[in-house]
Amino acid sequence: MIKVDHLTKRYSDTLAVDDLDFEVKPGVVTGFLGPNGSGKSTTMRIILGLDHATKGQATVNGTRYAELKDPLREVGALLDAKAVHPGRTARNHLRALAASNQIKRSRVDEVLEFVGISSVANKKVGTYSLGMSQRLGIAGALLGDPGILLFDEPVNGLDPEGIKWIREFFRALANEGRTVFVSSHLMSEMAVSADEIIVIGRGRFITSGSVNDLTKNAEGTVLARASDHDKLTSVVLSHHGVVHDTNDEGLTIGGLTSDEVGRLAFDAGITIYELTPQRASLEEVFMDLTAGAVEYGSQKRELTGG
Amino acid sequence: MASESTLMASTRAEWIKFRTVRSSVMGVAVTVLLTVGLGVLITTLVRTHWTQLSPLRVATFDPVSSSLRGSLFAQFAVGVIGTLFITSEYTSGSIRTTLTAVPNRVRLIASKCIVLFITTLILGEFVCFAAFLIGQRIYLGVVPTASITNGTVLRSVVLAGLYLTLLALFAFALGLILRQSAAAISVFVSLLLIVPIIGFFFPQNWQNDFMRFEPSSLGVSMESPFAPSNTFGAWSATFVLLAYVAAALMLAFVLFQRRDAGSNQ
Repeated sequence: MIKVDHLTKRYSDTLAVDDLDFEVKPGVVTGFLGPNGSGKSTTMRIILGLDHATKGQATVNGTRYAELKDPLREVGALLDAKAVHPGRTARNHLRALAASNQIKRSRVDEVLEFVGISSVANKKVGTYSLGMSQRLGIAGALLGDPGILLFDEPVNGLDPEGIKWIREFFRALANEGRTVFVSSHLMSEMAVSADEIIVIGRGRFITSGSVNDLTKNAEGTVLARASDHDKLTSVVLSHHGVVHDTNDEGLTIGGLTSDEVGRLAFDAGITIYELTPQRASLEEVFMDLTAGAVEYGSQKRELTGG
Repeated sequence: MASESTLMASTRAEWIKFRTVRSSVMGVAVTVLLTVGLGVLITTLVRTHWTQLSPLRVATFDPVSSSLRGSLFAQFAVGVIGTLFITSEYTSGSIRTTLTAVPNRVRLIASKCIVLFITTLILGEFVCFAAFLIGQRIYLGVVPTASITNGTVLRSVVLAGLYLTLLALFAFALGLILRQSAAAISVFVSLLLIVPIIGFFFPQNWQNDFMRFEPSSLGVSMESPFAPSNTFGAWSATFVLLAYVAAALMLAFVLFQRRDAGSNQ
């Protein structure tokens, strides 16, 4: 279990994390979602005791990370796959990590085997591709067989096969009752790999819940193709509906259900050719939630484009 | 006791890290080459030119420090060993991996210092004893020699090795303060080479007071059986250098405790 308690982190003049408060429970994969620069990595670094919190605190199993005796046995983390001395071999890197936490040496070969880099374990890490480095990072995280695992953007640099492998791997870890906390800026990735999601933007908590709940609560739209689009538009507007978009395919209507649109069209004598309720995709939910919380939004593009 | 076993564990980890990168191995090789190799070269030159030396040179000749001269070049090699032992963690970002494994920063720095101290002490003593013994062997029969059984001579050789060790620790502290290989090595080299040059621009009466505090003249004092005039004696020089190392390590550690280690600088 990870607990983040009114966590605030200020770097000179920027507020990277702003009063964050959440818990990550064991047995499920928890996604930590936010646009780039929203404070995900900072939060993870504070959880791991690398950065100091300005206010508030983070604990793992009720203890501050810095006070854990053999931390690798309780928490495994992969923050940056390239954060390894490039001149050292993978095996020696893991042997040093194992020695520091009194983990037996045979475990090094076990985790190398598990992530599938045994054959290159005696090569210098500097020669590794990003995908291989990710696997080495995962091996390091698993070294102490910890109950809590943190991964910062783990799918970056992985090939499709690797991505599939890592999703199944997260699922398996959670099924073993471990706490699995995975950050990503990609909603679509979280939608398939996470059970619970915590969404942040500009360092602030936005929402949390199960993937299903988040999409259920989001407002859906109705796509309507009819004989008279202008007339349908005025009818919809007079009944407190909204028309988001009008094109050849029809009207995208918000604020009304498909049943209501159908009835209104019937009453007005408009023939409906097609009426399709459209559930908001997770991607759209995410965009809505974090709108205004994106540090480098698209308005920048206009500035540089001109 | 539990805390002892974990200091032991992190020290073992640092030892594995120290010996599994090329920079340490190269640094050790260069230290041996400079101290022993230059020692052989210098003592051989002295032997071949002995009869042509002026009576004054002959009268003031010191077989001990002349055979240990190479260590004043090797000080740059041990400086690089000490610096890279910590700055490579910052340039590669592996400091984050290191700190997640050993989040107790006191213990981490203690472990690194233990590894660096022991390895460079063994290295320093080995190369200085080797340079001394080989040098005396080369002098034998032509040039006056010194015996290691003489207490003062033994002290000079031992302190010459310790000088290299202390410089490695000093360079380590600079590395921890600056967190950049190039910056730390530049500052280290400047302190050893540029500071003495600045000293020459001082008025004569200040010069002597100033120059004896400068690290490489402390080194000369430490490895001479008889202290040159206007310098510290061997033991005083050792304590001054120890004070430098302690102060630098203390400052480095205070900064290390306060700073975030996670973000790239």
